[in-house]
Amino acid sequence: MSYCVNCGVELGAGAGSCPLCHTPVQNPHAVPDNDAPPFFPTRHEGVEPVSRRMAGLLLSSMLASVALCCGILNLLFYRELWWSFFPGGAAVMLWVWFAMPLLFRRLSAWCRLTLDTLAIGVYVLLIALAVHGLDWYLRLAVPMLLCAVCVCPTVIWVVRYRRLSILSSAILVLLTAGFLAAAVELFCDLYLRGVWRPGWSLIVLISCVGLCIPLIVIRRVPSLREEARRRFHV
Amino acid sequence: MATVSTPWYRMDNASVMYSAIQREDYSAIYRFSAFMDREVDPAALQRAVDRAMPRFPGFAVRIRRGFFWHYFEPNPSPGPFVREDSADFCRPVRFGEDNGWLVRFLHYGRRISLEVFHAVADGAGALVFFRALLAEYLRQLGEDIPAGCAVDLDSPPSPGELEDAYLRHAGRVSRSFTQVKRAYQDLGTPEPFYTFNVTMGFVPIAQLKERASALGGTVTEYLSAVLIKLLLEKQRQERVHRQRPVALGIPVNLRPYFPTETLRNFIMTVQVSADPRLGDYSLPELVSLVRCQMRLYATPQNLRAVMTRGVKLQYNPLLQLIPSVLKNPIMLRSYRTSGVRPYTATFTNPGYFALPPEMSAHIEHMEVILGQAAVARPHISAIGYGGTMEITFSGTQQENDLEREFFRYLVREGMHVRVESTRG
Ligand SMILES: [Zn+2]
Repeated sequence: MSYCVNCGVELGAGAGSCPLCHTPVQNPHAVPDNDAPPFFPTRHEGVEPVSRRMAGLLLSSMLASVALCCGILNLLFYRELWWSFFPGGAAVMLWVWFAMPLLFRRLSAWCRLTLDTLAIGVYVLLIALAVHGLDWYLRLAVPMLLCAVCVCPTVIWVVRYRRLSILSSAILVLLTAGFLAAAVELFCDLYLRGVWRPGWSLIVLISCVGLCIPLIVIRRVPSLREEARRRFHV
Repeated sequence: MATVSTPWYRMDNASVMYSAIQREDYSAIYRFSAFMDREVDPAALQRAVDRAMPRFPGFAVRIRRGFFWHYFEPNPSPGPFVREDSADFCRPVRFGEDNGWLVRFLHYGRRISLEVFHAVADGAGALVFFRALLAEYLRQLGEDIPAGCAVDLDSPPSPGELEDAYLRHAGRVSRSFTQVKRAYQDLGTPEPFYTFNVTMGFVPIAQLKERASALGGTVTEYLSAVLIKLLLEKQRQERVHRQRPVALGIPVNLRPYFPTETLRNFIMTVQVSADPRLGDYSLPELVSLVRCQMRLYATPQNLRAVMTRGVKLQYNPLLQLIPSVLKNPIMLRSYRTSGVRPYTATFTNPGYFALPPEMSAHIEHMEVILGQAAVARPHISAIGYGGTMEITFSGTQQENDLEREFFRYLVREGMHVRVESTRG
């Protein structure tokens, strides 16, 4: 038997290094016995995620049948318009949103989020194609979607992984909402009139900033923060 | 109240919580292991399991999802089957998988392990079951184990073993413990799912007792004090903006306070804490602090009042009417605020596992492992058997600072510590 020179604890017969500090065992009188069965099992079985295949398949078949029925009806009625693009595209989008996570459980959250956003983009594209509106699609829908794609995941990431306090998160979310409103109006103005004339979004932005100011004050002044904690149990 | 004749029974106060906070990747589960004097014979173990399960109907159950509450029902499926152990200790239990069994029997080399979902029973109840199982296993191997060593497997199950002791002993006054609301969170980096790290230390009980009594405490109080001391130091080294109290959750077995035969849950978590904002603490001070807090909170009056609060909540007519689909997320949320945030770590010591010499001759040592915590932080558990105290640090965090400092501390205190770990 050997002891860790660093920790002073006795080690198991098969241990080549100390499990506490990883110092290698160098004992000429007791070479680590590599043939000794390990104290704990080393075979990993892994734990499978709960299977939701049945629910996923059921949902898929429901959505597929909706899309199929609409497609067939489209060939019979109102044939001048591709109206089946609306329910069909919606079915595809819903499938990506709800059925896919059930069927492919190993997909990472970010990957899923990307696909969800792409699904929205494709759906809007389908509508645009159906109503001959590629122009508004490219100049209005795509910029808005891109803007949301850039901002929302960043905010979620910051709030979740930077472990922000409730106050800081609230400030961040409010400011983001104001910024997004401004962006939406910018794109609308550019599309409709060609020039940016900030109107309603300015009111939204100013209200958001106004809401933030007291929060920032509370955030900066420790005694106020303590008081808010006590009152609201946050 | 549950009787044997009813084909289903209500969950007790603790089970309701443990089954509500169940997630796909988390369940409240724990494991007891016996390290035998020779290789385990799986066939004999299976025969012992088949003999023992009918005697303990409280363990042979499955959980059904009712509209308002989950409930227990005798499990008619075949099994449970003895399996070879793997490195994934205390895997989450799923109510719909593995035929719905909530107990697992595993073997590896010379080790027999029993894993129990916490909604079924607490440590004291599970140890009664494990003891009977071990006695039967040794008999299956041809050893002569006298009848009085463990529960007689041929006797009918007593209705008292299935009773909801919380319900019976609830009083009229309901109150919650006054305690630290938000403790220092010793969070580590979570391992990828499912990696579970276990480190065990084996310490002579005599040395622990000697040191503890020199400081005027019991072994549990002494070990809790050492843990608090190390956690206080850890928090100081992290140089956090606002130091928070270090609080240990110590489950207290309620059976010595309120007579009951029950093998189901009958425990309550008592919080012991030290606030670093008040100054530094020496180890003797911490031992007496832990001792005083345990004495202060663990009084029959206090425990009964807290117990009553839980039972009143469970049987609140308004809450009863909320469907469980809505109720469970609410309970998960309240578990975060009342079961996770107020504690830095959990330390459980189910006590000394005393066996008659006929049985102890065949068992070298005992082990206990608490399954993963709801967040990536260590769970500490200890069990005494023979002359050895086995102390386990388990969890899903990558860091092993606390266990390293803990065992080094015991070594500095002059104790002999042997360490085994699943960490490389
Ligand atoms: Zn070491």
